[in-house]
Amino acid sequence: MQPAAPESAAPAAFSYTAFALSLIAGLALGIALGRLLGPLPGGEAEPWQLRAEDRNHYMLAIALEYHESGDAARALDKLIALKPAGDPLVALAEGACALGSGGYLADASGIAALRSAVQLYQDFGREGCAERLLPEAAPAALPAEPPPPAADARAQPTPLPSKTPPPASAQTAQTARLAPTPLPRRFREHSLRSFCDIARPAIIEVRTVDYLGRGVPGQRIRVRWGESEDIFLTGIKREYGDNYGDFQMEEGVEYAVDMPGAAEPLATALSTGSCYSDNRRGLKSWRVSFVEV
Amino acid sequence: MLRIFRSLILGLALGALVGLYFGWVSFPMDARNRQLSQLAQSHQDDYSVMIAAGYAADGDLVGASARLALVYGDEAQRHLRESAERIISSSARSLPDIRLLVALARDLGQLSPLMMPFLTLEESGG
Repeated sequence: MQPAAPESAAPAAFSYTAFALSLIAGLALGIALGRLLGPLPGGEAEPWQLRAEDRNHYMLAIALEYHESGDAARALDKLIALKPAGDPLVALAEGACALGSGGYLADASGIAALRSAVQLYQDFGREGCAERLLPEAAPAALPAEPPPPAADARAQPTPLPSKTPPPASAQTAQTARLAPTPLPRRFREHSLRSFCDIARPAIIEVRTVDYLGRGVPGQRIRVRWGESEDIFLTGIKREYGDNYGDFQMEEGVEYAVDMPGAAEPLATALSTGSCYSDNRRGLKSWRVSFVEV
Repeated sequence: MLRIFRSLILGLALGALVGLYFGWVSFPMDARNRQLSQLAQSHQDDYSVMIAAGYAADGDLVGASARLALVYGDEAQRHLRESAERIISSSARSLPDIRLLVALARDLGQLSPLMMPFLTLEESGG
């Protein structure tokens, strides 16, 4: 007679393997469904969820309000609520730059609005490309006397009047409310060395740091050669860090690098030429850093 | 076979519940692809107030109208009137914000009786 099998040898009522596998599948399914059906259905979007172009317009609206109220804290709160990847004012500068580069300056309205954005980030010591895109003179705008209030309770929209500038007194009051522009930051050459990277030939890499070595984004770097020059901002290529900018050199050309209004030109003119890395020929690159003084 | 089936169902159900919680609460959708017109009502109101404030500063009615159209489309002026009336009725914004909206609505020819007291206030109080 066979002895009775012990209880522990009886087939389990539960398969842990099947349970674990289906748990993982269920988890993935649940997360996907949760995110799809999630708490923010269409039409209930938050400002930070706006696509880039619309976010730029939203930031411009913030700047317009700041232009009227001079309330920097409120403006900053709203910029922060957009959850930018880095400095919210640099994000504003980049947004203004993108709008300015994209035909936003075709009319006086765009010019005035962009000027408000530039004013806002410059009040906090930031720089962008938008100020270089703006025309020198203030736009010849137009405040027309607003049309008299419509007598009819539900009046039809009236044709839009031409834009006219606000009264001088209003402009003066606005200016007085805005915070003074901080002193410009000053930098000096900190280090300069060449390197050979086959993947990144003939590049001038520039970084801007403060006296503690922390990155300083949004600084203008100028590269001049012959009769030409190019100005770029540090921090635009975020994949390389928020204080990084670069410039592509050509062979046989010498380049002078400085920070306009902020740092003297490098003592050495930079040029590229042959270099070798792992027995492969490349073109020499330069790594420059400016430190705040 | 039954025990495997039972384990699968139990695991799937439990996993889906936990996953729904995480997907809904802890890791909600982070997509940044919405348009201004998809903003929640309160944020659309906020945007309108900002545009109205800009108009108060620069007197650019054409620009203000164009910026409102980014949110409300062709019906921007009507939407502004409705927004202003709703905000007044629900006391959803501060008095200065309402006055900004009313001033813009007036200049866009969208004044309504509900707005009149705020307009009077603006004209008398500066």
